[in-house]
Amino acid sequence: MLLNQFLILSAVLFAIGVYGVIARRNGVAVLMSIELILNAVNINLVAFSAMTGTLAGQVFALFVIAIAAAEVGVGLAIVLVIYRNRRSIDLDEVDLMRG
Amino acid sequence: MVGLLAQAGEAARLDTPEVEWTALAPVLVMIGGAVLLMVVAALAPRGSRVGWHAIVTIAVAVAAIATVVPQWNRVGDDGPFSVVAGSVGVDRFSLFLTVVICASVVIATLFTDGYLRREGLEGAEPYVLMLLSASGGLIMASANDLIVMFLGLEILSIAVYVLAGMHLRRVRSGEAAIKYFVLGAFSSAFFLYGVAMVYGATGSTNLVEVADFLARNTLADSGLLVAGFALLLVGFGFKVAAVPFHSWTPDVYQGSPTPIVSYMASGVKAAGFAGLLRVFVVTFGDYRLDWQPIVYWVAVLSLLVGAVLAVVQTDVKRAMAYSSINHAGFILMGVQAASDRGVSAALFYLAAYTFMVAGTFGVLTVVGRRGDGHHQLSDYAGLGRREPLLALALVVFLLAQAGTPLTSGFLAKFYVIDAAIESRSFWLALVAMLSAVISAFLYLRIILAMYGSSDDAETADGAAATAGPRLRVPAAAGIALVIAVVATIGIGLVPDPLSETARDATPELVASGD
Amino acid sequence: MAQYLPVVTLLALAVLFAALSFVASRLLAPRNPTAAKSAPYECGIVPSREPPERFPVRFYLVAMIFIVFDIEIIFLYPYAVISGELGAFGLVEMIVFVVAVFASFVFLIANGALDWGPSRRLRRVDPRVSAERTTATTVRRVGLDGREEAA
Repeated sequence: MLLNQFLILSAVLFAIGVYGVIARRNGVAVLMSIELILNAVNINLVAFSAMTGTLAGQVFALFVIAIAAAEVGVGLAIVLVIYRNRRSIDLDEVDLMRG
Repeated sequence: MVGLLAQAGEAARLDTPEVEWTALAPVLVMIGGAVLLMVVAALAPRGSRVGWHAIVTIAVAVAAIATVVPQWNRVGDDGPFSVVAGSVGVDRFSLFLTVVICASVVIATLFTDGYLRREGLEGAEPYVLMLLSASGGLIMASANDLIVMFLGLEILSIAVYVLAGMHLRRVRSGEAAIKYFVLGAFSSAFFLYGVAMVYGATGSTNLVEVADFLARNTLADSGLLVAGFALLLVGFGFKVAAVPFHSWTPDVYQGSPTPIVSYMASGVKAAGFAGLLRVFVVTFGDYRLDWQPIVYWVAVLSLLVGAVLAVVQTDVKRAMAYSSINHAGFILMGVQAASDRGVSAALFYLAAYTFMVAGTFGVLTVVGRRGDGHHQLSDYAGLGRREPLLALALVVFLLAQAGTPLTSGFLAKFYVIDAAIESRSFWLALVAMLSAVISAFLYLRIILAMYGSSDDAETADGAAATAGPRLRVPAAAGIALVIAVVATIGIGLVPDPLSETARDATPELVASGD
Repeated sequence: MAQYLPVVTLLALAVLFAALSFVASRLLAPRNPTAAKSAPYECGIVPSREPPERFPVRFYLVAMIFIVFDIEIIFLYPYAVISGELGAFGLVEMIVFVVAVFASFVFLIANGALDWGPSRRLRRVDPRVSAERTTATTVRRVGLDGREEAA
């Protein structure tokens, strides 16, 4: 069945995104990984939408695209604030608080 | 050409949903107020330091609460109903949480005003963001569709990411923002993946249709659905700060501006639990045997980890973050019970907790002084002598959090434990009582530091002399503290109105009329 | 298939030319690199620290405005396709949506997101210098710093 291929593609993208968020140190790369996860979900939604013959999944995908843009806008702004204060976007260095 | 246009005009009309604007009034008031405040503040000349931003914010939140009253009566007369083609439900559950979230906005705004003046920050943006975030919370509380739920979750979260980094010059504020953002966006993505799974398994995102589908059909292979449960639970778990999804909480609470933390711990948590209760207890109620064990262990871990790690902290703000994890464990007990009694216990807990935690962080805001950096336990030494009223307020909040009788905290804890025992989770109830005893050490430690023995007091007074002038409690913060103290003690002495309201506020799913 | 032959030929030629140029320069050009040559500025002075990178935030703000409209289009496009069928309901919904987006645009403009040129704060710094630029004021701005008392 065709659906499985989409689901596997989406799962692989999801896993790559999760790996990126956990392993990458560059703030911008982490943002890109989050985008990757959201787009993996979009593939899922559209595939399910085609399978079940309902439109909700495709509508949802549009909302996810909009929200992903908003999220990355805010994320970049926060990375920018960090960069201005400490001249680096290495997230491993952003660790003043421990306990 | 004209003919073509006319033809297009006569094309088959789609079924457009009837939008009942009055039923959406609380959300509309909040969003409209936020947008208006944003535009007016941007166009008005800058630099005026009158606190009109805060006054407008409070007026908007109070107006939203006022719109709840007629709807509460309407739901009582006609029963719950749904609007916008069944994607938003209005029941007493959503109305109850609307009031709770708006109240947390009012209190947090009163603290924010003094904070912004003290730190020399200006602008209406924090208030706009808080209103927008709260409107996301209201959407979550009344969502009857997973798409709407996700939209609410994101409106709620994205605004709070910015609020956490509001203090641009403080490095820690930026650090809190990036940590909250990365983990929050991560968890939202998990939530979204879960929604996609549930959609794939049931063919709909509407909670009514999902519940119908699950009631009518038995899935041959429920793998997709259970994966969806797990992913949704991860998303909600992050938002309500439950172990093992709590790792952001201490850092974010410690680094964010303190009045914002008071909103995070009350409003954001209430919205997260609103979604959790509606999706799991109501929609997936038939599958409770699948998700109850997970929630059970999440609750146990939250109770124990929150309590134990809170006691070993020396930074009061950080300790309060762990204590909020502990409280999330208590509220999860109500979720785990998956019964009417559990839901109303969780609602009572949320309402009572909103006032005590907002008040606690309000006192922390004042004690933090300029720079928001004085949160060590030693900064509280001798506070009882220097600032008797402020210290007394903190004592009330801490005793309430510990669950002392005659405060709201006692009954809140009593109801959730009662609900857990009713659902035969005896061990969970036992763990809860144990964790209450452990976390009481923390609250007593802070109280003892404030009213320390005379030797300590002398050195503490010396330290206070070097620490700077007397603490200045802004008038707005004073009003908020009085509200919170009165609510905390009032609910403790006369609990019946609130507990009966919480009992009425059962969540229900109603299909759209058309 | 035959009609694509010229395109394919051109593509192959382009790739070939680019590859040949690279290889030829690698083979023919003399190379003896030194540390001074590979420094960012070859003017004889060894830079003591990394040259400060310019970080133009202005472009970031413009990108934000782009995102505002980018998102708007995502929802406007489906509406435009079936606006006739949606009728008055769709129009009202779209107006609500567009007003909300427009409010954010007003906010951006009011906060100076589209003010190019020297930022307002810099212009206001020196009260001795009037806003109009004449030769006199420009000379004063450049050359009179600290000479006020002496004069």
